[in-house]
Amino acid sequence: MIKADHLCRQYGTSFAVQNLSFEVQQGEVMGLLGPNGAGKSTTMKMLTCFLPPSSGDATIHGLSLSQSLQVRRLVGYLPEHAPSYHELDVDAYLQFIGKMHGLPPATCQDKVAEMSKACGLEQVMFRRIEELSKGFRQRVGLAASMLHDPKCLILDEPTTGLDPNQIIEIRHLIRRLAGQKTVLLSSHILPEVEAVCDRIMIIDQGQLQALGTPAELTKQAQGGLLLHVTIQGSGEQLCNHLSSTFSNLEIQHRESLDNGDTRYQFYHPDASSALAEATFHAAVATQAVLLEMRQEKASLEDVFRELTGGTSCT
Amino acid sequence: MHVIWALCQKEWRINLDTPQGYVVSIAFLLASGFFFGSNLFLNGQADMRHWFAMLPLLYIFFIPAMAMRLFADERKDGTYELLATMPTRTIELVLGKYCSLMGHLSALLLLTVLYPLSLALLGDVDAGLIAAAYLAAWLLAASFSAICLYASALTSHAMVAYIVGLILLLSLFLLTQVAPTLSPALQDVVVMLGPINHFQNMLRGVVSLADVVLFMALTIIFLALSWFELERRRWR
Repeated sequence: MIKADHLCRQYGTSFAVQNLSFEVQQGEVMGLLGPNGAGKSTTMKMLTCFLPPSSGDATIHGLSLSQSLQVRRLVGYLPEHAPSYHELDVDAYLQFIGKMHGLPPATCQDKVAEMSKACGLEQVMFRRIEELSKGFRQRVGLAASMLHDPKCLILDEPTTGLDPNQIIEIRHLIRRLAGQKTVLLSSHILPEVEAVCDRIMIIDQGQLQALGTPAELTKQAQGGLLLHVTIQGSGEQLCNHLSSTFSNLEIQHRESLDNGDTRYQFYHPDASSALAEATFHAAVATQAVLLEMRQEKASLEDVFRELTGGTSCT
Repeated sequence: MHVIWALCQKEWRINLDTPQGYVVSIAFLLASGFFFGSNLFLNGQADMRHWFAMLPLLYIFFIPAMAMRLFADERKDGTYELLATMPTRTIELVLGKYCSLMGHLSALLLLTVLYPLSLALLGDVDAGLIAAAYLAAWLLAASFSAICLYASALTSHAMVAYIVGLILLLSLFLLTQVAPTLSPALQDVVVMLGPINHFQNMLRGVVSLADVVLFMALTIIFLALSWFELERRRWR
């Protein structure tokens, strides 16, 4: 369980993280989203006791960050870019990490074998890390972060630089961990966060903007209902009919296509209104031919863009 | 303790597995062999005074090279973040790195024991004198290593760490060289605190407590400075 309470971190006069409070339940996978420079990495560095917070505190399984040594025993951390010693081979590197954690030699051997199997590292155990691809290095980092069987895993962009197959493998791995371990991971790949995380937290400029399940967040961002309709001909009758039966309707966009058809975008501020049904009935009543009708749902991308001031997510 | 040992093993493994460790070692042994052999046959005496007198100069160029990557590279590669987020104390990291460096230097000094052994075949060597000189050489290496480790903790660029280490050691050396031109009061200070002066004292075969304490004090001061430097960076 991770609980942050008004965490702040200042660099000089600027705040990298400001008054950040949140809670990650035991066994939950929490996604940390935000544009570059939003304070994701700084937050993670504070939770792993690498940077002391300027003010505020966090507890990890009931231990305050000031009890740094005990906290670090509970936490497994994969920093951004998965740093490791490139001169060592995978086996030697994992053994070193185990020894640094004070695992007894026999346990260390077992754990290295177990984790390298879980992360699919068996065939590269005796290759130098510098010879490995980015994906394998990332997996080495992940294996290293789990070697001492931590209760919490903090993963800073665990899937950057991986190919789609590897991304899916890592996702499966993280999903498998859910339930046993508390996971906090950051990413700016939104579909991934949606697929892996139980809950999502969006931060921007060091401040919490939203927190909830992916479904909750998209619902929250949806606002109104947007309907894309393509009608044979001009469709003016249909529009008039619809406007007269449906108050507050807004025709946001109208475009005549080359073949004489017209494409409309209808918007209604109430997301639960029966705009699609009304459009169908209006088409029947005016004998207009509907060629296409599509309701647009807000995606996590919209939520993200809205909450982080339209800055792009890459 | 396990942290210090694990770090030592890791550093030695990197030194043995990659060129960076043994290139420096071979260069050191070549240079030291040159200084040993160059005057031996001119003088025709079975002693190592000349070699020991040159040793500080070798240290000045080689110890910064052995120490430069210890913290600088960890920071540059981001692995320092890994070390610092493991359940380890900063002082253990400093001591682990220091012990690995001292292990490396001790191994090199041990290899040079071949020189007095081969001298013993040629003539009578004063074993006591040479033992005292080796102790002095080891103590000087200990304090120079601490200074260079500190230089490495200051920066994330190994080259900068090398230059800073070199400048620190060279200024200690030059201070001793220019001492005769200084005012008597300053001369006294240099004689009292200059590690090279104390090294030269010990080469005479006299191991005094003052010499040993000075080397140990220098070592402890610079290890503490490295520790402070690493701790301080977390708060910036």
